[in-house]
Amino acid sequence: MSEPVTFWYGCNVLRHGDIIHACLDILHALGYEPSPVGGVDYCCGTVKDANQTAAAGMATRTVGKLNQRGAPVVVWCPSCHSHMHEFMGRTNEQRFDMTYLVELLHAKRDQLRPLLVHDMPMRVFLHQHVGFNDLVPVNRMVPELLGLIPGVEVLEATYTAPGYMCASFAPLPKALEDIHNNTVHAAKAGGADAVVTIFHQCYRELVGLDAAGAIPVYNYIHLLARSMGLPYRDEYKEWKRAGEGAGELIGAERIAKVGVQFYERAVLPELKKRPNLR
Amino acid sequence: MSNRPPIGQRLKEFEEREVERILGACTRCGKCYEVCPMAQYSKAPSSDSKAVVGGVLAVLRGEAGTPEALGWIGVCTRSGVCVPACPENVNPKMMMRLARMTALGGRGQPAQLPVKEDPDYFDRVRAFAKLQLTDDELKEWT
Repeated sequence: MSEPVTFWYGCNVLRHGDIIHACLDILHALGYEPSPVGGVDYCCGTVKDANQTAAAGMATRTVGKLNQRGAPVVVWCPSCHSHMHEFMGRTNEQRFDMTYLVELLHAKRDQLRPLLVHDMPMRVFLHQHVGFNDLVPVNRMVPELLGLIPGVEVLEATYTAPGYMCASFAPLPKALEDIHNNTVHAAKAGGADAVVTIFHQCYRELVGLDAAGAIPVYNYIHLLARSMGLPYRDEYKEWKRAGEGAGELIGAERIAKVGVQFYERAVLPELKKRPNLR
Repeated sequence: MSNRPPIGQRLKEFEEREVERILGACTRCGKCYEVCPMAQYSKAPSSDSKAVVGGVLAVLRGEAGTPEALGWIGVCTRSGVCVPACPENVNPKMMMRLARMTALGGRGQPAQLPVKEDPDYFDRVRAFAKLQLTDDELKEWT
């Protein structure tokens, strides 16, 4: 009998459908029946620091919707998880248990280990931040999960970035540039074959290092999924590598769904953006 | 009918209680600023940590913040290393988040920091959803 859970994936991970799909398959394989929810209608409101009336409305709506689903909630996004702990759950009637996905996978690692059947010979450097670990010790747990994959060697973490995830550094380009460069230097100094991120917000930023040819970059879910034989393509990485030519990979039919003008104004610049490497 | 106050009111009251608690507990020792890995990126870095923290508390009281305090508030990215450094259990991470909300004008006071919201933020989320999910997934998951 599978255990129903609500998989609350958040907003911006919608750039990475492969991550969402792989998480759902992993949850299925561990005996859960995940019901995925996310996107703008399930936003936690953490981006609305400048408008607490809007933040309150979004939080109340989302907590109400999660309450109505009547199942424990498994959270993907660290921003949603933090905001629920620090604000949403303290100002709304939260009627569900909540677990962060890394915590769940770590607790189920004895069940996860035999599912990881494909060798992934790779020395990886974990991109980690100092924040969020007070809520969930991801800097300890994710290397232990990666260590379950046959062939994966997790290198010593010789650099820990400030903040809790990379996307919040978008208004602070000098700090983000330092994070990019320190990550590459530390990974290469340790002899890494690849950098692995914990959060999608870091993956979105650091995959530019991959696109620029500095070093391959993955999210930890990508490696778990590959070792399990899950077939999802990382289209975001393909689009990012293609840059200006991403439209040819995406195709006219999909671009038409979002509108050519919006794609060119608001999507393509992100795909073309590259880190400033020193 | 529920006697519960409107949710926006609960958030406002929660934030007011937290501000009051922080203003009462903080001794302006400056440890939170001293350990912050982001202070170096402030537009107005300072060697006087006690004064910077005093400026943050002024923002929380609804007063004008000093350039040094606003500079620090503007670069807080929730590292949280300030939390164990605080000898008074103030929770400086919460202090800085509330100061940021206040300085951005989010709690009703005049804005002291520029609001840099991306006008395409939510439409970009919707666009990537359309690029990455099937029509059925869009309907059922979002």
